Parts: sequence; structure tokens; C-alpha cells
Amino acid sequence: MNLVRAELLKIRTTSTWWWLAVGAFVSIALAFAFNAWMASTVLGGDAETLGVSGEQATPAAQAANIYTSGQYLGLMFVMLIGILMVTNEFFHQTATTTFLATPRRTSVILGKLAAASLLGFLFWLATTVIDLVAGATFLSLNDHGTQLGEWPVQRALLFNLLAYAIWTILGVGIGTLITNQLGAVITAAVLYLVGTQVVGLLFLLLSNLLDSQAVLKWQVIWPAVASQVMISEGQSEFVPAWWVGALVLVGYAIVSGVAGVLITRRRDIA
Amino acid sequence: MSDGQRSPTSDGQIVVSGLTKQYRNVRAVNNLSFTIEPGRVTGFLGPNGAGKTTTLRMLLNLVTPTSGTATISGHRYADLTEPLRHVGAVLEASSAHKGRTGINHLRVICAAAGLPKRRADEALALVGLTPAAKRKFKGYSLGMKQRLGIAAAMLGDPRVLILDEPANGLDPEGIRWMRGFLKGLAHEGRTVLVSSHLLSEMQLLADDVVIIAAGQLVRQGPVEQVIGSMTHGGARVRVRTPHAEALVTALKAQNATVDADGQGALIVTGVDAPTVGRAALGAGVELHELTTERPDLEGVFLELTAGKAGIR
Ligand SMILES: Nc1ncnc2c1ncn2[C@@H]1O[C@H](COP(=O)(O)OP(=O)(O)OP(=O)(O)O)[C@@H](O)[C@H]1O
Ligand SMILES: [Mg+2]
Repeated sequence: MNLVRAELLKIRTTSTWWWLAVGAFVSIALAFAFNAWMASTVLGGDAETLGVSGEQATPAAQAANIYTSGQYLGLMFVMLIGILMVTNEFFHQTATTTFLATPRRTSVILGKLAAASLLGFLFWLATTVIDLVAGATFLSLNDHGTQLGEWPVQRALLFNLLAYAIWTILGVGIGTLITNQLGAVITAAVLYLVGTQVVGLLFLLLSNLLDSQAVLKWQVIWPAVASQVMISEGQSEFVPAWWVGALVLVGYAIVSGVAGVLITRRRDIA
Repeated sequence: MSDGQRSPTSDGQIVVSGLTKQYRNVRAVNNLSFTIEPGRVTGFLGPNGAGKTTTLRMLLNLVTPTSGTATISGHRYADLTEPLRHVGAVLEASSAHKGRTGINHLRVICAAAGLPKRRADEALALVGLTPAAKRKFKGYSLGMKQRLGIAAAMLGDPRVLILDEPANGLDPEGIRWMRGFLKGLAHEGRTVLVSSHLLSEMQLLADDVVIIAAGQLVRQGPVEQVIGSMTHGGARVRVRTPHAEALVTALKAQNATVDADGQGALIVTGVDAPTVGRAALGAGVELHELTTERPDLEGVFLELTAGKAGIR
């Protein structure tokens, strides 16, 4: 418990968290504006021009989109917090001090994981409250009702919470595996941002090569794709069910967390 | 501190036994054994790359030994229940977040170690850093950073203090302050282990020394004894005279050894200053200087570590 408090104090006493919060809120604002414009176009009958159709064109789907505005980049910000919590110790040479105060290194990493999840939750909460207030106002003004009773909407909100927790933990894991701050940040950004498109293309090539459509489903092993799968509706020949995405993400979190603990326990701090 | 951590014989004692650290291509510490007693300041000396920092880091569970053990009060550092209340350490290559204030740096440590928050203010006052408490670490001078490190080490009011080149960057006032501070702590019965290259300072500060070179023990013991062991037959006498030849002849008759120091003075060994004075008077030789040169730690250190490759 002391360790979680110490970790939170570390974050509060530097300006990093502040910049990340500002970044997250700017991205909420931009994403909200975009999603609101999209919803009013789609629900106004112009869905075809934007290439949106079927399940995605319902008010519930658009509402879910609005209520999760800014979460795409928000997830990246919480992951960065997780990474910085670890790599800062090496970048600023505070690892010595930290491990002198707590020689049990597993506890230190667990403390970081707990503090990171808590921060992920706070970011999710703040983002969601902003989105809910702004979104409900926007949808009601446009006569669609708040849509909050719809399961797709509730589901999107809840699974984003899971996504926030997992990506923060992944951040801590990546930080312990790659202690070089720049290296860790770049790796994480690649894992997250170079998501769907590049991996989709690679798998398309692979499926042509193997002459098998089923291969496409395996895109889910890439974390960013898994994250997408987890929060999206329905499954198809090419997209596995949401829980597969969730399992893959949880798997990554566990593996990186355990690997991080084991490596940290053995590492020489010099 | 629980009572379990205290036993009458090993309380505050540091025991290093057969300690070895093999890095990829260098054996930084090689089968090193020594004991540090409480109530005394012990200087930990050795040329650059001798393995001092590596030894201290192994003692503090930051670096894993290849073999051997290092204990404090009979326990490995990792097994101490409240390590900061027992051991305080200032190490090189340890620092604070550049964007965090000094006081917050200490508060973070207090939070992690379960120490009350007011200890941060007290420790800061102890090292005279209170005026800079709310300034960010990146704006600290070298000496201020060093003082913050000492403050961090004192947070838990520890029984054992371990410092790696703490005088680095301190001004003369700061060095004198630290000398008094560390001597005071030892006087209270605490264990003080301090590594340094400032040998004249160490001679003033330390009661005992442990000298290592190339990862191995060279000499351990009370400062006086270590110095005495190297100065065969006592002090040297420096004399200056316009009639060198006559004096040399007179001194040779007293079985003294005489060497020129290359700067116009003679260095006499084997006899004491009064003997030199009497010999000069007897020979009717005029003297311009007659000083006894006590052997110092620096000379002894250089002699002991000569030829033992420093940087490997
Ligand atoms: N992490 C490391 N990896 C490889 N070699 C190392 C490592 N740390 C130290 N060494 C080597 O171990 C030897 C002892 O280094 P150490 O830092 O303990 O010396 P020191 O006595 O503290 O020297 P100084 O007086 O310069 O501080 C050196 O040869 C150094 O190069
Ligand atoms: Mg050193």
C-alpha cells in the first residue's frame, strides 16, 4: 500500500502526468467533434457517402462511437504513463533510491502495476464522464435520445475500461523489458499505432499466399488489433469474437507483467 | 527495528565474506573479505576501478554477487525488515527526477519506506538544504545534489551509514561539515563506511581503513597501524643547508640514510630531527630548515597500491 502511494506521489510531483492529461483531453475534444459530425451525417441519411452501412449506421452504434470519443489516443496516453513509471527510474537514475527503500523488487513492480491500473481507471472515468455529458447533450438535441439504455453503448463503455487497465499494465511491462525510455516509447507506439492497417495488409498477403481466408482471423494476435476486436460488435469470417480479443490482450498483459517482474528481480542496478 | 534484527555481537557490523563479482570481461571484485565495526568511521580506499562501488552495491542488494556474501548486522540487506531505518546509503550514479523538487524527492522515499512525512523536512534541515527545498532538482548545484543524497540516507535515522565518494562536489565548508557530521555519527555508536579518493581528508576523518586494489584486499586496520606498518623505522627529516657535503658526512657517521629531494633539500631517514640538529652543530654546519615529515595516508596508499593496475 505504501508503494502504491509512493508511485502515485511520484507521478503527482512531476509535470509529466499533466502533459499527458492535457494531451488526452485535447484528443477527446477533437475526436468528439469528429464523431459528432459523423453521427449527424450518418443518422441524417448520408451514411452511404461516408461508406458506413448496416449495423454501424444505427443510432446505438453511433452513440457508442460518440461515448468513447478520444479513447483511441487516450489508451496510448495511459500506456505512456505506464512506460514512464518504469523508464523514468532508469532515465533519472532513481532506481537505486527506489530499490534501497524497497529491496523486494517484486513488490516495487506490483506497486507500479497497481498504481498504473488506478491511473488508467481515473483516465477512463474522466474521459467517460466528459463524453457522457457532452454526448448525451448532443444526441438529445438531435432527437436521438441518450441511447444509454442500449447494450452496444454500455458494452463499449465497459470494455473500454478493461482496455484502459490492460494497456496501462502493458505499458509497465514494456518499460521493464525495455528500460531505455526512447526505445520503450517507440516500441509501444509502434505496437499501438501501427495497428490495423499494416497488420491487415500483411495478413492479406499471407492469406493469399496460403490461399486461406481463415488466416485473417489471426490478425488478433497483434495487440492493437486485439484491442479493436474486443470493443467491436459482432463477428464474421474474418473477425473473431470480442472475447478472443480480450483474452489476447489479457495474455499480453500477464506475459509482459511476469517477464517484467522476473527480469527486474535479476537485474543489476548500477 | 525489530529485536530480531539485533544481536549483541553483530549489531551494526558489516561483514563481507568471499565476495566476488564477475562481469563479462572483468572480475570487478575478487574473493574480498573484511569486517567493519560500529562506532568507528571506516575509509574504503582503492584506485579507480578497484571495485569499491561494486562492493557497496552488492552489500546493498543492488548488484547480485557471483559468489560470497555481504551482511549488515548479520542480515542480507534484502532481508532487513525496515531497511531505511537500519541502513542509509549515498551512492554514485544515484540521482533524483530532474523535474521534482528536493522536498518531494524525500517525501516519495518516506512514502515508500513508511516513514512519517516530517522526516523529509527534518533531513533537509540537517544538511542545510531547507532554503532550496522547493526548487527542482535540475537547478541544484553538484554540492546541493550531494547534500540531498545525504539527506535521503538520513531519513530513517539509520544505525549504519554507507557513502560512496560523498565529498564529491562539496565546498571546503561542506567538507568540514561532513567530517564533523560523520565523526559525530560514529561517536554515537553508528557504523560509518565511506569511500573516497581524498586521502588527506580520510586521514582526518577515518579511524580504520580498508584498502583494495584490482578487486582484492590490500590492507585493513586502524589508520595509525596501517601507516606505521609501511614506514620502516619512523619518520623522515627534511633539512636544508648551504653546506650539504659536510652535513652528509656527519650524518653518515650516525648511520643515517640521506637522499637529495631534487629541490635543494636533503631527506634523512633512520635518525630523528634532534639527532640531525646535533650532528649539524657538531660539524659546524648552518641549517636553514629542519622538519620532521610524518608519513601520511597518501604516501602509504600509493606505496601499497603501486603496480596493482587501477583501471582494468
Ligand atoms: N555494470 C558493469 N558492467 C561491466 N563492468 C563493470 C560494471 N560495473 C563496474 N564494472 C567494472 O568493474 C570494475 C570495478 O568498478 P567499480 O565501479 O566498482 O570501481 P570503483 O572502485 O568504484 O572505481 P572509482 O574509484 O572510479 O569509482 C571496473 O573495471 C569497471 O569497469
Ligand atoms: Mg566508484
